Amino acid sequence: MQPLWLYLHFPNLQLDSYHTLGPSRARPNEQLEPAQDGLETPVVILDMQHGIVQLNQAARFAGIKPYMSLGTAAALHGGLQVVPFNPEIEKQQLSMIAHRLYMVVCDICFFSEQGLLLRVDNMLRLYGGLLQLWNIIQTQLAPLNVEFSFATGSSPLAAKLLALKKWDHITDDPKLMKQALKQVDLTFTELSQKDITKLNSVGVSTVEQLFAIPFSDLHKRFDTQVITYLGQLRGDFKHPVDFFHPAQRFEQYIELLYEIERSDLLLQPLHKVLSNLENFLLLRDELTQELGITLYQRDKENIEFVVGAQQGEYRAKDWLGLLALKLDNLILNAPIVALQLNVKNTFVRSPDKHDLFLGKQGAISRLQLISLLQAKLGDDALFSPMTVNDYRPERASQYCCALTVNEQNPIYRPPLRPSFLLPEPSLLTQHVSIVHGPERISTGWWDHHPVVRDYFIATSEQGQWIWVFKTPDNKWFLQGIFS
Amino acid sequence: MNSTIDQLKNKRLLWQASQVSGAHKTLSSGFDSLDAYLEGGLPEQGVVDISSPIGIGELRLLLPSFVLRQQNSQKLLVFIGAPARLNAPMLVKMGFELSRILIIEPKNAKEALWSTEQCLKSGCCDGVFLWHQGLEVHQAKRLQFAAETGEALSVVLRQQQPISFSLPVALALELAPCPEGIKVTVTKRKGGSHSQPFTVNMAQAWPSLTRQPKSSNIVPLPRFHSLTG
Repeated sequence: MQPLWLYLHFPNLQLDSYHTLGPSRARPNEQLEPAQDGLETPVVILDMQHGIVQLNQAARFAGIKPYMSLGTAAALHGGLQVVPFNPEIEKQQLSMIAHRLYMVVCDICFFSEQGLLLRVDNMLRLYGGLLQLWNIIQTQLAPLNVEFSFATGSSPLAAKLLALKKWDHITDDPKLMKQALKQVDLTFTELSQKDITKLNSVGVSTVEQLFAIPFSDLHKRFDTQVITYLGQLRGDFKHPVDFFHPAQRFEQYIELLYEIERSDLLLQPLHKVLSNLENFLLLRDELTQELGITLYQRDKENIEFVVGAQQGEYRAKDWLGLLALKLDNLILNAPIVALQLNVKNTFVRSPDKHDLFLGKQGAISRLQLISLLQAKLGDDALFSPMTVNDYRPERASQYCCALTVNEQNPIYRPPLRPSFLLPEPSLLTQHVSIVHGPERISTGWWDHHPVVRDYFIATSEQGQWIWVFKTPDNKWFLQGIFS
Repeated sequence: MNSTIDQLKNKRLLWQASQVSGAHKTLSSGFDSLDAYLEGGLPEQGVVDISSPIGIGELRLLLPSFVLRQQNSQKLLVFIGAPARLNAPMLVKMGFELSRILIIEPKNAKEALWSTEQCLKSGCCDGVFLWHQGLEVHQAKRLQFAAETGEALSVVLRQQQPISFSLPVALALELAPCPEGIKVTVTKRKGGSHSQPFTVNMAQAWPSLTRQPKSSNIVPLPRFHSLTG
């Protein structure tokens, strides 16, 4: 089967990431009503080198065009909002889109900074056809409110080229794709400006004309980069692509379009992030117990805090309730310009189990409890006690990994022993009266930890029952407590 | 006759002390005298607040009940934040199965409380011992709720500290040393009343860790020579 690629180009990623805007799907010939538009402020994204790179419909209506300089744009509209271009945001947005699409398409590649390449030919049998698949992709993209153009192509570069040209057609007919490709102007291709000028000067301005020239002739005048590009565009050369694998953890950073000074207003952008988290967790059937939130304050240190839900939650609604409580106690020193949500540990949701005879009970099993505790406390906080056949008290009792005790029958059953042992015997510093004893333990001469002690049970003046021993050189130590 | 009272009763706005006492299930503590004072023994679930110095026999008083629990179910017994290392031979001697004992050493009091809550509500622990010095009302409430969810009993041990307020727990005991056992004062019991301090005699269970009291009917001989005429 011929490989078939679908390319999605997102021209306004950063602009679309601002929650206050809701641009409709790309409809090129849309006429905007001035009344509708009047509610929105024109917003542009400014790149230092290229001028205005992204703009919303309101800005377009005001007469602002892409690649216009800031001065001209500001002259066209007084209330223009300018946001600096941030490639980080675009990257995150693109990754978020890729995560969503991964639910329906398996082979996704971050092909450029503003576009995703999808391999669709291997998905057709699953969905029963290209149009059905395209419908599903569209439903995945619809809630994101992002503007995009798309195209299919028989090679990755062809799909990209057609999508950049806003061909906006989905087809698996190679003739149609080839036809469309041939009409594309060379300026849309990834050839360098120098090469395009060179080609133009000999009368080659479209892809069709370029394809007409044999490779061997091109080889004489252009370097291998051009040849490789052309070969890959035509599908003659193999074009290896790296497919993406979704991250196991959820992390999202959003920059706010307006600085927020009141903590209750933060809930709105947070809700958006939490909805994404909900989707992320729902699709994996997982829960999380802890959200890490970072609020970026202007000119001040970031505020970081953690919100926990003991039961484990995934719903945005529940988390928002908890966050609202947390935010109530939060003092903001400076306006918030951005926020980030981190989720470290997630765990698989376990359905509530009911014992028919015992009524309702807590839901988790012994091992789930251990892993839950370990996740929070670390591996070195959980133990189980273990007995070892040894006469030395400090060796007879040991802590081992939680619930991994191999109970062995003790050969030696010691007489009365205290319930607590001090980590190290400490010098006896108080007055005690001896009640029972002595019990002599003299052992360990074979493994270089010799012990010669006379143990006594004693009471302190406060009425505590303690376990003390005397060494041959008449030193007294406290080793245990009979709780 | 007392229609107002009946109405309030029907709406469950009024309760009588007699209704409550039978409602709480108890489990024998292993000491008859304590059981008698507590009308049955330790509560089956909930939080027990113990205020006691270390080493006067507080675990010896409480643990037998948990041995019974461990024998009756397959659940875990958890010790959280113990003041020193628990001695395994002692636990074996008391009758515990070590493979179902979990010891947690949290880094701070907050983590201790968190792990206690998790263990209690998990439904796979029978009992949780927590050493915590300053339990607050809302924390006790949460633990109590978690214990009811997971049908577990939590024992919170703290060293004697006078607290002016009463924690919302099922049972609160104050323990003090005593030569023949341990002196117990019930400071709070759900559905019960306060009692005078009483002594739980441990001479039978722990002969080596008690002292025999001097009987009051033994009068030392007077130190004078009898008149011989």
